[in-house]
Amino acid sequence: MKRFGIILSLLCLVWITGCTATKNDSQEKVIRIAEQYGIAYAPVQIMKDQGILEKNYPGIQVIWEQMSNTTAIREAMVSNKLDVGFMAIPPFLIGWDNGMDWKIATGLSSVPTGLVAKDEIQSLQDIENDDRIALPQPGSVQHILLAMACKKEFNDPKKMDNLLVTLSHPDGMTALLAGNEITAHFTSTPYREAELATTGYHEILTGEEAFGGDFSFIVGVTTKKLHDENPEVYKAFNQSVEEAILFINENPEEAAEILTKYYDLSKEDILKYLTAEDTEYSATVKGIKNFSDFMNETDYLKKSYTSIEEVVWENTDYAEY
Amino acid sequence: MQNIKAIFLKPYSKYVWIGIMLIAWEAIAKLTPVSPLAFPSLEAVVAALINSILTGDILLQMLFSLGLIFVGLVIGVLLSFVMSALSVVSPVFESFVDTCVSIFHPLPGIALLPLIILWIGTGSKAILFIIVHSVLWPMILNMTAGFKSIPVVYKKIGQNYEFSNAKIIFKIYIPASMPYLIAGLKIGWARAWRASISAEMIFGASGGIGGIGWYIFNKRVFMDTAGIFAGLLVIIVVGMLVEDFIFSKIEDRTVKKWGLS
Repeated sequence: MKRFGIILSLLCLVWITGCTATKNDSQEKVIRIAEQYGIAYAPVQIMKDQGILEKNYPGIQVIWEQMSNTTAIREAMVSNKLDVGFMAIPPFLIGWDNGMDWKIATGLSSVPTGLVAKDEIQSLQDIENDDRIALPQPGSVQHILLAMACKKEFNDPKKMDNLLVTLSHPDGMTALLAGNEITAHFTSTPYREAELATTGYHEILTGEEAFGGDFSFIVGVTTKKLHDENPEVYKAFNQSVEEAILFINENPEEAAEILTKYYDLSKEDILKYLTAEDTEYSATVKGIKNFSDFMNETDYLKKSYTSIEEVVWENTDYAEY
Repeated sequence: MQNIKAIFLKPYSKYVWIGIMLIAWEAIAKLTPVSPLAFPSLEAVVAALINSILTGDILLQMLFSLGLIFVGLVIGVLLSFVMSALSVVSPVFESFVDTCVSIFHPLPGIALLPLIILWIGTGSKAILFIIVHSVLWPMILNMTAGFKSIPVVYKKIGQNYEFSNAKIIFKIYIPASMPYLIAGLKIGWARAWRASISAEMIFGASGGIGGIGWYIFNKRVFMDTAGIFAGLLVIIVVGMLVEDFIFSKIEDRTVKKWGLS
């Protein structure tokens, strides 16, 4: 019993020191970044692995927080637990629409994304009320792309909103391939490729078709607090993202080698995804106006922006059509 | 002073406490610099609730969830009754049930999710499975504890009257362990709620419009914090109505009438 008490108190001690370790000294500059995994986030892993931010701002303390999804990142940024998050444009706009003080700092990547369905479903027209579509969550870029396609096809963007099942990419793939109610899955690299490689499944809609052009799949967003209170850190962050993107574009082989440490994929596969024709790493933000106007028209947002400065920081590259 | 104390001893004291909490809530929302995204004011919550009732499906979604919970509870209660009754009759079966309880009781339904997706899929059946799983084991624990608490002499009296096993269970065991059964039912009801809400948040609109969990999840992903609280409010109100009008009625007609409590 006494020994048990000692072990218990040691455990408590570990737990307490574990908590205080994340507190920071006020002297040192700190940046808290949400870390996510996936081919679309490759520059983030490169930035971390190569210590690019530390090089550009000597003495900075970078805290990488593990986050499982965009909603959690957004909530952490509301409660001032995070300075930087990477996400798609629609979830960013939802936060902006609801009064979050944040703007896009940089583009990051465009990767192939699409709706993979069982072979018996030839197009959106074949999706019936008994069918279920798996995607990461309502309000995600996958959901908005589906709504865009539904608007074009049926003039009803919300037609499929009650057929959605919220599943992470790996769970969604399991559910689709298990062959139960899930008959379609809106997903991205590398899950999309894995599903398409399975017999009996094909792609009925690509992200580009739904959107009607090219768009940034993931962008980097920072809080106003970081931008205003630590302009030097903010600048170093943007510069580091650009360098990481440059690194991947110039040394894809080396980047793929590094990424094998982070992803459960072979070097060859990673290289194939990094250099795929539809995959692009770029700091230019693309397609924001199109998303914003569509989401406003279809009531996913209450307002759209009138001037681009409301949603991107100065010096951020963006492209409009 | 005595008068104030008397207020909290009245049957309506619950509502006095709720009033105090609401005032504290509003004071925090209004007087402190909290973000309305994290802590919306009462007006915003009530406005979101009225809006959801008028323009949305919140009431239908509530009914959908309640329906699932009801079916899950009935299945859970029947199964646990059969298993507990059999373990009263047979010591061999009792050890089997004990083993099952110690294996499955600590397993949260949500932890089984990946398997449930593979085996059952993601529809209402999967949600029902999670509800039954979360109701069944605590129910069995309560029922068997209730049956074990009955003095042996009761059973012997039954045997003296040459009651069959079934008659002993229905005429002696169930009435005598009623307080445990009702407590088990209350736990089961609360567990069923938790299970269905968490499953709905993950599986989405499994039945066309989905349940109240799907409603809350949608409010979360679209950052409508007032809407989240509106959903919680509906759950609380339903919980209190069920407590006040169903469980207390059952207690009045059974344990209180029989003088067991």
